[in-house]
Amino acid sequence: MFNLPPPDILLQLSLNGALGGAMYGVAAVGLSLIFGTMRLIFLAQGAMIILAAYFVRALFYGLGIDPFLSLLIVVPVGLGVGWLMYQGLFRKAAAEEDRNVSLLIAVGLMFLVQNLMTVVWGGNTAGVVTSYTATGIELLGVRTSFTRSMGFLIALAGTGLVMLFLRKTIVGKAVRAASEDMDAATLMGISPHRVNAIAFAIGIALAGAAGVAVATTFPFNPFAGFIFSLKALVALALGGIGNVTGALAGGILLGLIEAYVQFFISGGWTNAIAYGVFLAVLMFKPEGLFSRPYKKA
Amino acid sequence: MSNAFKWIAIVAVAALALLPFVPGAVDAYYFSFLFFVFLYAIMAQSWNLVAGYGGQISLGSHAFFGLGAYTTAILWNGNYLWGSLYDAHPGIYYFDPVTMALGGAVAAFAAAIIGLPLLSKLRGDYFALGTLGFGEIVKVLFVNGGDFTGSAFGIVAPAGMFDTLRPHYWVALGLMVATALAIGVLMRSRYGLALIAVRDDEMAASANGIDVLKVKVAAFAGSAFIAGVAGSLYTFYIFHVGPDSVFDLDWMLLPLMMTVVGGTGTLLGPILGALVMYAVFDLARIVVPDYHPVISGLTIILAMLFLPKGLMRSFAGRVMVA
Repeated sequence: MFNLPPPDILLQLSLNGALGGAMYGVAAVGLSLIFGTMRLIFLAQGAMIILAAYFVRALFYGLGIDPFLSLLIVVPVGLGVGWLMYQGLFRKAAAEEDRNVSLLIAVGLMFLVQNLMTVVWGGNTAGVVTSYTATGIELLGVRTSFTRSMGFLIALAGTGLVMLFLRKTIVGKAVRAASEDMDAATLMGISPHRVNAIAFAIGIALAGAAGVAVATTFPFNPFAGFIFSLKALVALALGGIGNVTGALAGGILLGLIEAYVQFFISGGWTNAIAYGVFLAVLMFKPEGLFSRPYKKA
Repeated sequence: MSNAFKWIAIVAVAALALLPFVPGAVDAYYFSFLFFVFLYAIMAQSWNLVAGYGGQISLGSHAFFGLGAYTTAILWNGNYLWGSLYDAHPGIYYFDPVTMALGGAVAAFAAAIIGLPLLSKLRGDYFALGTLGFGEIVKVLFVNGGDFTGSAFGIVAPAGMFDTLRPHYWVALGLMVATALAIGVLMRSRYGLALIAVRDDEMAASANGIDVLKVKVAAFAGSAFIAGVAGSLYTFYIFHVGPDSVFDLDWMLLPLMMTVVGGTGTLLGPILGALVMYAVFDLARIVVPDYHPVISGLTIILAMLFLPKGLMRSFAGRVMVA
């Protein structure tokens, strides 16, 4: 048996894990929405996050706009891009019986975005260094980085807004209805294309928000997105597919698992154990760890 | 499949088989191009078996390809397992059928082990996600495998360079034809009909006495066997087997793409898709080397927007769709 480290280290690990995991969570919320209405595993989500990160970087170095302030630009742009993306790329495929078609469009989009980024910004690792990048803050008696905490807040705020939208607005209700049963929702007069487009718009806007968090916290390169997509999928499965708060919680849980595995076992095994947990959850609790039966979103 | 078409296929295969005898052909660029088309066509058939005919979308083909490749490299090195067995003949020779079959068998065994729990519990998207997770786990296992798997660097096979691609070409062509024939025969058998019945309506198939789980796991394992053999073939070509090369997601994504472009659930779709898509990728690589992945991504999107049913179903008549 290994000795348990002192509690302050455990607290530090938990905090860092949770803060990092929130980023997977916000990506997973976007995936969850898109999956909910379209039953599409949107593999390009990670690439969109990195694209947003590069966009934030360009705004910062080109126009001097603070990364966190650029949320005000990135999120609306994300909404628009998501809407257009659905109308241009996925609208026709969504009506197709064979869902491989939309999956492959997502894969093609991932290739396209990744490589366009390489052409435009080069394949090297990039980052955003601001005056506060190296600043730490004191939280619950342990120190953590300011940017990570901001990323966590962005994730919470993003998920909270999506929750409010889904719960309190009539359009949100339509999206939820479509996620539960598209046929029945269509019979009630909900246009599948509209809810799909809305889900896409919000999903990409969330990718934008995640992009801000990534840009300020980590160095990134055009190909870093795919692993994000995979991690977001794991978070999604942990939280229960179609469950928005569950997706955020799943992301945080995944962050915690990664932090603990890195500390107690070894960094090399992080992914294997994360995916092992993922498989176990899929197999034994496919409805997710945080969902109550018959209640969604 | 019509009779005339059968003859066209026989003539085409014969022409391809005789191609290496054409003076200069072996050194021509298109020779290695064709080798890769055959390799991808085998992988595409593998995916088509489980996803096209079986309806179970697997996103783990690269894991089985890599397992076959590693099995071959480890056996070829011979000094970890059964060192004494190979002492009599130092190293195995190229395309040793036993080694290739073992590569397939290891992949099929892994598929059965993972397929039983996955397929009994998960359906549709959950199965796809599960196989994707499985692929990542296998990759990490090989990265952390120590001396046995050569860790992050992988294994270099002991053979020297080959001076002609001819044997590779013939083996790849032979395997591609054999795979297509085997799947063609299989799909006309009781088992093939059961597989299609399960894809179309699981409940009805089960009500008619088909053991749904058994049929699905067998298709998954069969598909893995084909992918494993393809991985083995690749080892004989590339010599260096590393986690980032043989467990690369491209070994899953490209065959999937080729099958869908060619026509899912058709016998010739995967071959046609492999030829067309690899030609597009390779052409882009030659003509616009800096942008070729951009072109590849664009091609996939355009193909899916305008040919969502695949080439076979869009252009060829129903006759050709086996």
